[in-house]
Amino acid sequence: MNNYLEVRNLSKSFKGFQLHDITFTLPKGYIMGLIGPNGSGKTTIIKLILNMLKPTNGEVKILGFDHVANEQEAKRNLGVVFDSNYFSDEWKISQVEKSVSAFYENWNTQTFSEILEKFHIQPSKRVKELSKGMQMKLMLACAFSYDAKLLILDEPTSGLDPVSRDELLHILSEYIEDGEHSVLFSTHITGDLERAADYITYIRYGELFFSGGKDELIDGFRIVKGGREELSEELSKKILGIRNFSTGFEALVRTEDLKPFARLHVEPATMDDIVVFTSKRGELYE
Amino acid sequence: MNNIWKSAKLDFSLVKPYVKTICFTMILPLAFAAINRSLLTGISFAMCFIAMTTGYTFSITEKNSMERLYGILPIRKSDMVMGRYLYMMIMGFIALIVSLIAHPMILTLLGETVGVFDFINAAAVGIFLFALYTVFQLPGYYKLGSIKGRVFMYIPVAGFLVTLLLITKIPVGESKLLFTVIHSPVLLMLFVVIFAAAMYAASILVSIKILKNKEM
Repeated sequence: MNNYLEVRNLSKSFKGFQLHDITFTLPKGYIMGLIGPNGSGKTTIIKLILNMLKPTNGEVKILGFDHVANEQEAKRNLGVVFDSNYFSDEWKISQVEKSVSAFYENWNTQTFSEILEKFHIQPSKRVKELSKGMQMKLMLACAFSYDAKLLILDEPTSGLDPVSRDELLHILSEYIEDGEHSVLFSTHITGDLERAADYITYIRYGELFFSGGKDELIDGFRIVKGGREELSEELSKKILGIRNFSTGFEALVRTEDLKPFARLHVEPATMDDIVVFTSKRGELYE
Repeated sequence: MNNIWKSAKLDFSLVKPYVKTICFTMILPLAFAAINRSLLTGISFAMCFIAMTTGYTFSITEKNSMERLYGILPIRKSDMVMGRYLYMMIMGFIALIVSLIAHPMILTLLGETVGVFDFINAAAVGIFLFALYTVFQLPGYYKLGSIKGRVFMYIPVAGFLVTLLLITKIPVGESKLLFTVIHSPVLLMLFVVIFAAAMYAASILVSIKILKNKEM
């Protein structure tokens, strides 16, 4: 099996929000970043994948299994980390293991102990005594203890300090090293993905803006800068997003549309630039 | 290990930090039994009180946003529901056994005589009341959650009061069948078990349907 996660034509309607026709695939052995501004539909996609929400349309396959018809099989090798802990606050770490391990045939107690030690988590502590970063590591430790093939992380870095964020990225890089594991990493902090992700799926206002290689996304856009007088009508048509200053402008354009901007100053775009400039639904920044 | 049993064990681990409170709810009805000098009253109160604790699992789950944990575990939603019913029935069974041992002891110490029929009668009524309360409570909690569905916590209290009101109005003497059932320990217990099983089957089906359609 080459694809660990297949999402096809996924749609979901809420009052006031619609997730429309989302399609992407995550191959085995890679990290995919699921990016988009707050409220763009990232958590909805993850909840739909996990069958916690019912889609209006579309299908999802986790490790080759349909996420509804074969829910049990699909979730057997799936690990999930949310932005906040999902264990009982009153549980001791040893109780977390006792409660969760029963559901996974390939749970390895020794691995769990080793990971706790590596993450500096004391088994005698209660969940509520752990910091947010430690709670995130505890969720990861559980997923690693049954050797989850696919890891889904929903905004795991929000609220974490830079050191913890860096640690998480290091852990994920180690996790996929053997080529047998994949990660879907939802975040609005795109800087986290610049280093770690191989693929990017960018959701904008419930619609798929891009899904493909990270480099393909970054190479696909450029930032152009110039004086106000250099912004012609012809150029404006090619601009995806613009910031105007008293002295000039900076704008995001597709690399393929760069030709008319040849005389202007051109810089590579970061993922942050792409998300920020394209998140105004075509409205221009003033 | 069966998934239903695993799910029930998970529920037990949820309420583990609250064991003392639950034990207290089992001890308190002893006072009612002693005051009323009645095994039936004591058992009825005990089952009413323990039924009120069935919302604990829902409250703890809601407080800790644990629906996300349940959402990622490799287990069918129907097994989750049946696991919770199993947990709740075991709690009811433990409460009944504890009460059936402790209450006659207290009453004997107070000089009351507790006969075998009193014992079976109290057990049957205890099972019946507990089933009656919980079959409505659990679907309510599944539908509304523990906060919005707090009203379901009071079903046992309301149910108990209604039972007290109705029990004197049952025309036992007029119905030969009812008279026979009530005066035969075997028939009474059989009737209660069959009736409780039927109620639970219906309640479980409703709860499964609710959970399957619920979006988390």
